Amino acid sequence: MNKTHHLKLPVSERDVRALTVGDTVYLHGEIVMAAGLLTHQRIIEYLEAGKPLPVDLKGGAMLHIAGYSREVDGRCEVLYINPTTSTRFNDYMPRIITGLGLRLTGGKGGLDARSVQAMREAGCAYLSFLGGGSTLLTKSLKEVISVNWTDLIFHYRLVKVRVEELGPATVGIDAHGGSLYESITRDAQARVPDILAGLGPRRSTASHSKG
Amino acid sequence: MAVTYDLMKRVTAQLYEWSLKKIPEDTKVALAQAELAETNPVGRKTLTYMIKSASTAERENRFVCSDSGIPVYFVKIGTRVRFEGDIKRAITDGFADLCGTIDPPLLEHVTNPLTLERGHKGKDMPIVTWDLLAGEEDYVEITCSPKALGSGRWAALQIFSFPSLDTIEKYIMDCVIPAGSQACPPLVVGVGIGGTFDYAAKIAKEAMLRPFGQRNPEPILEEMEERLLKAINATGFGPMGTGGVTTAMAVHVNYAAGHGFTPVAVTFNCWINRRTRARIYDDGRVERIE
Repeated sequence: MNKTHHLKLPVSERDVRALTVGDTVYLHGEIVMAAGLLTHQRIIEYLEAGKPLPVDLKGGAMLHIAGYSREVDGRCEVLYINPTTSTRFNDYMPRIITGLGLRLTGGKGGLDARSVQAMREAGCAYLSFLGGGSTLLTKSLKEVISVNWTDLIFHYRLVKVRVEELGPATVGIDAHGGSLYESITRDAQARVPDILAGLGPRRSTASHSKG
Repeated sequence: MAVTYDLMKRVTAQLYEWSLKKIPEDTKVALAQAELAETNPVGRKTLTYMIKSASTAERENRFVCSDSGIPVYFVKIGTRVRFEGDIKRAITDGFADLCGTIDPPLLEHVTNPLTLERGHKGKDMPIVTWDLLAGEEDYVEITCSPKALGSGRWAALQIFSFPSLDTIEKYIMDCVIPAGSQACPPLVVGVGIGGTFDYAAKIAKEAMLRPFGQRNPEPILEEMEERLLKAINATGFGPMGTGGVTTAMAVHVNYAAGHGFTPVAVTFNCWINRRTRARIYDDGRVERIE
């Protein structure tokens, strides 16, 4: 049976290990939004150089959520947020998860087997947010804490915000090696031969012959 | 009277804004039906949240999704329409104006593929396909279908030689599987079979934009659409790819005669199914279709 968790950030390893794929999660506290290839490349550069990031992500939640952020009268403002496709960052995420010691990551669409392994080792889970949930997700936004890397366009910046009840998100990958993306894709691929074999007999019209 | 630069500029910009804030009526119905039919509890919860997201965005005049995509238009011209002014320029100017005025503002998604620089402007942007309406109509019909990254990157095309329906349908399934969890399902799948390389892609896109429930006039394709919808929903990806029996809301297939080489193009819309349409009549009337 899937459970619902209200997680206060930062989360402990124990809390993360208690999550199982399919569970529903709401987040309360500080998250860092990072979307964009350039953002990920820069995080890797910092890690390689042993340089601290402008925001401390050790044990934190770094999500593939992009936002429209701007500065008004010296104050940071985020107008709206939404998840982006995480698989674009497959090559970077294993290093980032273990290098930063992330407890939570997420976005939409999942991450590949390399990240699943890294998440099992580090004690980290992946949350699937609703693509197209911008209006509702934005309502959870309570405070902008910092906007870094403002040389990049809005949605590539490293933005730290405080959220209340950000969700619902589905645990797509848990810290025990469970991944809905892997299991569902594997099941789909296993079903395809039967699905294809079923298409022919359903056809009442004769297939056209080769000319 | 005539279809003027000002009218064209205003209507194309409005169509773009509407498409970001409101999902089509048929799509609302399809999501509500899917919510009732979904057997996976996670999938059902996701569908409920989708419906809530779309209705909240519409009510509060906000974007359903932050990826506002790139502007893509199909313009079909009735032969009795007269034009006044630089109509092609009107669409470009309309988008530029919208970028400066729309609330909330748009993220910069227009990307130069050579340098990866992003902004609100770019070569050949907005992307417009011009066509003539059959007969002698006195209006221009404009469809706006902004394309975002989530669904845009999974479209594919392959050219076969005298393929059987088996081969064609297997290829379509081969395109659906990698899109799987990532193109924000439940999807609308558009397929174009035949013609030439460019034409197959065009009719696939037109198929994708066809409203739900319109019967395919070609019986072979009507059956194929039904068959493929069942097949895609049997994969189990479900809403947002976290499991369920709702992976596609509709499969629409168009075809054109061709040579024995047969292109098959497959394209996707995500669950918010951005699609708006309006007509501008020669007498200056504007009719919003959807």
